[in-house]
Amino acid sequence: MPNIRVLRDIKARNGVRANEIARRAYLYVARNQTLPAPVRFQAQLQLNTFTRYTRPTTVKNRCHETGRGRGIMSEFALCRFQFRLKALRGELNGVHKASW
Amino acid sequence: MSTVLPSRLAALTRLRCAIFQTSYNPTGIRTGAKYLRKRLRGPSMVQYYPQQLNLAKIARQYPELELVNEVEEQRLQDIEDRKKRGKGAPKKAKNENESRRMGKRR
Repeated sequence: MPNIRVLRDIKARNGVRANEIARRAYLYVARNQTLPAPVRFQAQLQLNTFTRYTRPTTVKNRCHETGRGRGIMSEFALCRFQFRLKALRGELNGVHKASW
Repeated sequence: MSTVLPSRLAALTRLRCAIFQTSYNPTGIRTGAKYLRKRLRGPSMVQYYPQQLNLAKIARQYPELELVNEVEEQRLQDIEDRKKRGKGAPKKAKNENESRRMGKRR
């Protein structure tokens, strides 16, 4: 069972996917300088009504094994310690301990 | 050395835009097109975590299998044990007088 931070991140990811098209449309209107200012202002107000779990910046890549948020090796989606453990166990293809 | 008139250069840019089907925007005004041009990030974001087996969900879906969720059973057992020792969670307050928050308010 993933921990609460991972569950929250999954919630954010689902929210981003569900609201992405609507947010993009409002962003287009709000950032378009050729449109009249009141229209752009209303679009910006609409953007502000979206919850925090619809913004792509809320999403954070966390460790698949432990849910740790820092020190993630993005190629393996593991935190540095889990990466080390798995690599030493030989579970990561093409990864072995350096020695020279 | 001959100089090219700015109006001629502008006409050239306009013609180039017409040929290559790009929008003519000499002042560089922001049109917001980049928010429409970017690929959608949601579908790949959702796939980041590997699919996890949800035992509670399966047990609810197929009651005839009679699956036992050991983690959940242990949790309920722990709560029972705690209640026996008088360390359980307090009862939910039915009205404002029972509420423990009332006494704390200043």
